[in-house]
Amino acid sequence: MWEDFKSQFILNFVDDGRWHYLANGLLVTLKLTFFSVLLGLVLGFCIAMIRNIHDNTGKLKIPNFLCNLYLTVIRGTPVVVQLMIIYFVIFGSVRIDKVLTAILAFGINSGAYQAEIFRSGIQSIPKGQMEAGRSLGFSYLETMTRIIMPQAVKNVVPTLLNEVITLLKETSIAGYIALEDLTKGGDIIRSRTYSAFMPLIAVALIYLVMVRLLEFAAKKVERRLKKNEK
Amino acid sequence: MKNDYSQSPLISVRDLQKSFGDHKVLNGITVDIAKGDVVCVIGPSGSGKSTFLRCLNRLDEPTGGEIIFDGVNICDPSTDIDLHRQKMGMVFQQFNLFPHMNILRNLTIAPMALQKKSKEEAEGYAMELLERVGLANRAKDYPLQLSGGQQQRIAIVRALCMKPEVMLFDEPTSALDPEMVGEVLEVMKELASEHMTMVVVTHEMGFAREVASRVMFLDGGDFLEENAPEEFFSNPQNDRLRDFLSKVL
Repeated sequence: MWEDFKSQFILNFVDDGRWHYLANGLLVTLKLTFFSVLLGLVLGFCIAMIRNIHDNTGKLKIPNFLCNLYLTVIRGTPVVVQLMIIYFVIFGSVRIDKVLTAILAFGINSGAYQAEIFRSGIQSIPKGQMEAGRSLGFSYLETMTRIIMPQAVKNVVPTLLNEVITLLKETSIAGYIALEDLTKGGDIIRSRTYSAFMPLIAVALIYLVMVRLLEFAAKKVERRLKKNEK
Repeated sequence: MKNDYSQSPLISVRDLQKSFGDHKVLNGITVDIAKGDVVCVIGPSGSGKSTFLRCLNRLDEPTGGEIIFDGVNICDPSTDIDLHRQKMGMVFQQFNLFPHMNILRNLTIAPMALQKKSKEEAEGYAMELLERVGLANRAKDYPLQLSGGQQQRIAIVRALCMKPEVMLFDEPTSALDPEMVGEVLEVMKELASEHMTMVVVTHEMGFAREVASRVMFLDGGDFLEENAPEEFFSNPQNDRLRDFLSKVL
């Protein structure tokens, strides 16, 4: 039993340096997650602002329409389909870096969800805050950036970290465009060694550890933000 | 000399109307407010008194009439309302301090950003005012660490830090525990004694009687009666006012 386990372990991870598939894959997964979250953050923030300005002032009709279209399309279709459309259709004839393509796809996808998170964060701030800012002479935009957003962002940090966790797991479909992320790395080992158990369980465990670390960080951040309040 | 009628009024409200959809809240209010006036606005709930006050700095957008402030019709869409709001301090029922900033920052953010005051200047003036309301020792605290009465006194100071020409008070003591009402009214009394122009929507009849230079009665969106406080309370003319006073006094 133990001997069997040991030989399987050596076959899957040590021989030919196969652990490199997992290590390199993990790096790609982390890179994808990090930059997609950043892109999504920028997109989500801008969209939430545009929609909020529209809802409160009636301005920005066309940008608001485009935002709603974007949200409908992105949230109404599977992310794997979006990824393939971006890779095979939009960038079908130009060869650009696969990692970049994936970051674009996941970032655009995440932006739609982060936009909703920001929006609910803005709506959670009592309307007296906007009135207080305006009554002092701040414009709508100044009140938004100086008074509303700092409070809203603080409120949504825990939810945003959840989105990071979701995204980390979602990037496991990057293999669809032959990108060697963590999941694909495990799959490559499986196809070389014809044993599924070890590589796939290893991949699952690595994801689990990453998610737990993020959850731990989220709790820490949440506690620190709470402490600042009082 | 409290009222300086040699000049044109500081705020001149002409036929001010406000509707929310089909619901008419203000049916044409006309009133002049002179420099140094302390106008208390009273009336039953739903009478439009808060809406009237909020229209004065266009937090509620009037649907008709005009408001001349400092010689400018601020209801004109082409006026920069943000600029005029700097000269109209406002105090809310719910205080509305910025909970993510400490007290000193609450007081200096607007003077520094909008009037380009230096940090030293803004903080110096803020501390001076805090001293006067007895809260200088709380400058580094956050709003939620303070009691309601303290928060409201800070909110008054926040508005004063902009050196406004008029102060608007929207039921400033209605959200306070009874034992904290006094400390806020005390600050307002002091302001009145320094000839600050004030418009106060309130249920505090004692305050109106003692401090106001004029009392206005609104009911059902109509401006029904106004008078100096003694006359107003001892010899009300309008039936609805008499009815109202009999209930609240």
